[in-house]
Amino acid sequence: MVTDVLHPRKATTPKTEIREKLTKMYKTTPDVVFVFGFRTHFGGDKSTGFGRIYDSLDYRKKNEPKHRLARHGLYEKKKTSRKP
Amino acid sequence: MAAPGNLAVLESDLQSAVTLLKNLQDQVMAVTAQVQALTKKVQARAYPTEKGLSLLEVKDQLLLMYLMDLTHLILDKASGGSLQGHAAVLRLVEIRTVLEKLRPLDQKLKYQIDKLVKTAVTGILSENDPLRFKPHPSNMMSKLSSEDEEEDEAEGQSEASGKKSVKGTVKKYVPPRLVPVHYDETEAEREKKRLERARKRALSSSVIRELKEQYSDAPEEIRDARHPHVTRQSQEDQHRINYEESMMVRLSVSKREKGRRKRASVMNSQLHSLTHFSDISALTGGTPHLDEDQNPIKKRKKIPKKSRKKTGFRRRR
Repeated sequence: MVTDVLHPRKATTPKTEIREKLTKMYKTTPDVVFVFGFRTHFGGDKSTGFGRIYDSLDYRKKNEPKHRLARHGLYEKKKTSRKP
Repeated sequence: MAAPGNLAVLESDLQSAVTLLKNLQDQVMAVTAQVQALTKKVQARAYPTEKGLSLLEVKDQLLLMYLMDLTHLILDKASGGSLQGHAAVLRLVEIRTVLEKLRPLDQKLKYQIDKLVKTAVTGILSENDPLRFKPHPSNMMSKLSSEDEEEDEAEGQSEASGKKSVKGTVKKYVPPRLVPVHYDETEAEREKKRLERARKRALSSSVIRELKEQYSDAPEEIRDARHPHVTRQSQEDQHRINYEESMMVRLSVSKREKGRRKRASVMNSQLHSLTHFSDISALTGGTPHLDEDQNPIKKRKKIPKKSRKKTGFRRRR
């Protein structure tokens, strides 16, 4: 869903805080909540981004892109070297 | 028997009765001659009806039976008998009912019968007959045969039915020629259009709006309305926002786009609108004037544009 965050007189809220707020609102566990793409509007006070809440850990593993899983520490990317 | 008053009536009737009887005799002789000729023809099988419409045959037979019963009744009546409870009356009534019931069927078959009669008389189908447009499988080329068969070019109208003949030989593709439309927007018309647009813009400018508010009785509305002049940049921004929110992705902005946005926002964010008013010369009739820092009105150049090919390295501004 599209998430609007109001934070008057403060800097843009970090994603971890937004995740906590969303878990409280939707009464789930924080490990199925993913937020991304936050952009602050001109002048501050408001930012808009996207949030995703999954029904179960399995769905999350299957449907969420790897880089977002890596942000939560659930996926490790293999560092392949360029040289053969 | 008859009273003397009736005798006079009878006498006058007698005269008309004699003339009527004479007429009747003449007509009967004519009809008899015709019927005899017809009977001879039918017996000589000049009218074969096996392949005809059975409804018409049934109608023929019914009408004949009706006539026979009618003549029987006339015979009886003429020889002085009464019609009370006569068997022929019942038969007549039955035949009459059947004929009445056949009438709507007749109505439905009217088109077919008319067409058949016309075809029989003229010998060919008319031009507008939809039967001409039926598909012709013989026109289709079989893809299995290797040699080129000639196409049946006869009925061009068969194409209209939707079943096109498969072409064996590959012909060069000729694109359809669209009819070029005449363009004759003269300089005067262009001027008029430009003036119209300027007038519309002037009407919605801040000066005119404030004048309207001053002289109208309606209460003042303070609305958080969008900018009345939707610029291209604001439209693009709106489009971008809609796309991002529906697709849940963030699009990247190029440098050029950033520059455009910055320029557009600078225009609106400064105290620009305090001292600079939009041009309302379209309504007042004066010459269009512009403030110094605004963009000048571009004149239309008649020089054709060069084709923008990527010759070499394009400098990124």
